Amino acid sequence: MMNQARIRFKTEIANFYRISLINLVFAALAMAFGISYMVTAVLGSPFGPQDFLFRLVTGAVAMACFGLGLSWLLSTLRIFEGVETIQDALHAADEPVSGERLTCLIVRMLAHYRDNRDTIRTMIRVSTAGGCVFFVLSITSGIRALSLTANGASAMFDSLALIPSMLLTLGIALVSLMSSYYFSRFAGHWDRRLHEIEESECALKKTLEMGEA
Amino acid sequence: MSGRRTVYEIYWEILVYCKTPRSFTAIINRCDLNSKTGQEYLAFLSGKGYLSAVAEGEKTRYVSTPAAGEYIALFSSLYQKLFDTGPGFRL
Repeated sequence: MMNQARIRFKTEIANFYRISLINLVFAALAMAFGISYMVTAVLGSPFGPQDFLFRLVTGAVAMACFGLGLSWLLSTLRIFEGVETIQDALHAADEPVSGERLTCLIVRMLAHYRDNRDTIRTMIRVSTAGGCVFFVLSITSGIRALSLTANGASAMFDSLALIPSMLLTLGIALVSLMSSYYFSRFAGHWDRRLHEIEESECALKKTLEMGEA
Repeated sequence: MSGRRTVYEIYWEILVYCKTPRSFTAIINRCDLNSKTGQEYLAFLSGKGYLSAVAEGEKTRYVSTPAAGEYIALFSSLYQKLFDTGPGFRL
């Protein structure tokens, strides 16, 4: 029984560590992109009234991206630090990890989850919203790269240079939505465990009551 | 260990830590408790016969009794069971 628990706990912590790490990198990228889009929107070449409106919208969306990226980064950092500590403790423990040590780490992870339960929920919402905003941003970049005319679409060489950044923005959008999905699944599993613990507290209480006093 | 823990988790932590005799200060430091709550937990466990106070010169140390073994074992099995049943988190 302990072997299976040990393997599963290790795997789950390693997976969650990876998700948190990817989140951290993409949150930093999201923030950087938000700033970059804002600067581009403000300091672009001379423009007409139509272009002004377009830039205003892009700038506002970019500012929202920056805010979401910052919020995403700070939330992930807090969660990542806790998981990293548990992951390090798991790696530092002698193999095979003793039952006592394993229980200790499970308790630590549960305490960490209880502490960050609300943050994880916020992160799920922020990641979903961030994913949608970045998706819109990548689409607007795509429209800029392709000049749409009545006769069809055409692209200038300069505009084509926007395509890599558009693809990266799209990538951030996908990772953001993906992490929201994985965080939801993670939260679902750990909520179930918290519920199971609440149920098993009766047995622990009974055992304690059977003490001498 | 810090963070939000249930009372049963704190009891388990104290009992496991006190497998070898420990001072009050060491216990509250290790289990991240304040002095008042630390006293309450130790009084409860001592009252139930899971912890006994051993006088070593002027110092008092606390040590888990054999009766604590049952609680420790049940706690460990319940917590490890969380990872034995149901689907786990996978990528």
